[in-house]
Amino acid sequence: MTVRQLGNERTTAWVEGQVLVMERIFDAPRELVWKVMNDPTLVTRWWGPHGYTTTVEEMDVRPRGRWRWINHTTGGESAPFRGEYLEVVPPERVVRTSYFDVPGFNDRPAIETMVLEDLGGRTKVTATSRFPSVEDLEGALAVGMIRGALETYDRLAALIAEDLARV
Amino acid sequence: MYPVTPPGPTQPGPDALSATFSALADPTRRAILVRLSSGEATVTELAAPFDLSLPAISKHLKVLQRSGLVEQGRQAQWRPCRLRPEPLRDVADWVAQYRRFWEASFDRLDDYLRELQATQPAADEPEA
Repeated sequence: MTVRQLGNERTTAWVEGQVLVMERIFDAPRELVWKVMNDPTLVTRWWGPHGYTTTVEEMDVRPRGRWRWINHTTGGESAPFRGEYLEVVPPERVVRTSYFDVPGFNDRPAIETMVLEDLGGRTKVTATSRFPSVEDLEGALAVGMIRGALETYDRLAALIAEDLARV
Repeated sequence: MYPVTPPGPTQPGPDALSATFSALADPTRRAILVRLSSGEATVTELAAPFDLSLPAISKHLKVLQRSGLVEQGRQAQWRPCRLRPEPLRDVADWVAQYRRFWEASFDRLDDYLRELQATQPAADEPEA
């Protein structure tokens, strides 16, 4: 079952089964997008929410290479993420595991995939995240059609719209 | 990927999230939740659409109660089951947080790519 999620007008996002899919087109050639997304010195320029900074502790972009990035929140907290690269096919595809590296969460990786499609001077990035700890994310979202959760989505949409208006 | 902020007073703990997902992983339990979304019901009423015994339905209800999705009234003669939406909000919030994290990252990536191309239109080697 495919559920169209909210997304904003720039990023399309939806869920298919156990996978969250996000799509965005960038006005830049694929080689440049690939470099900015996979260079340890450039990841810090864009990864994470607005106002947050990133420290790249480790980033070895090749199969079995490890990565560990720390996102520093505006409140001074550190959110570490780590994982291992599984597939690296420049300039089109990266697959890696991703753990939120704190006790209680760090036994469950998500599998993140980035696919870069050349649109001739522009690039479509399709990012997917598969959550193996969720036995049936689709089921959760099907139940999400229940009255109470529908209200939650409306509230989330309003919050996201507020966030976008502030940016 | 998981919420950006570590678990705190306003965030669900990892065990609560796992319990919710496990509870939702079963189609009978999901059907029970759909039925309860239109109002409370007794265990007998909930069992009616399924080819399952009352003890089997009760087992499902116990899983749903443990995850906090269903609560049961306490009056001796009338113990209706009721839906609690709070754990579902946690699931939706968690997925939404992850999506918002990447939407913001893509916004910043977009800005940075424009900046790079504006200052070095012919270059493919951005300055670090």
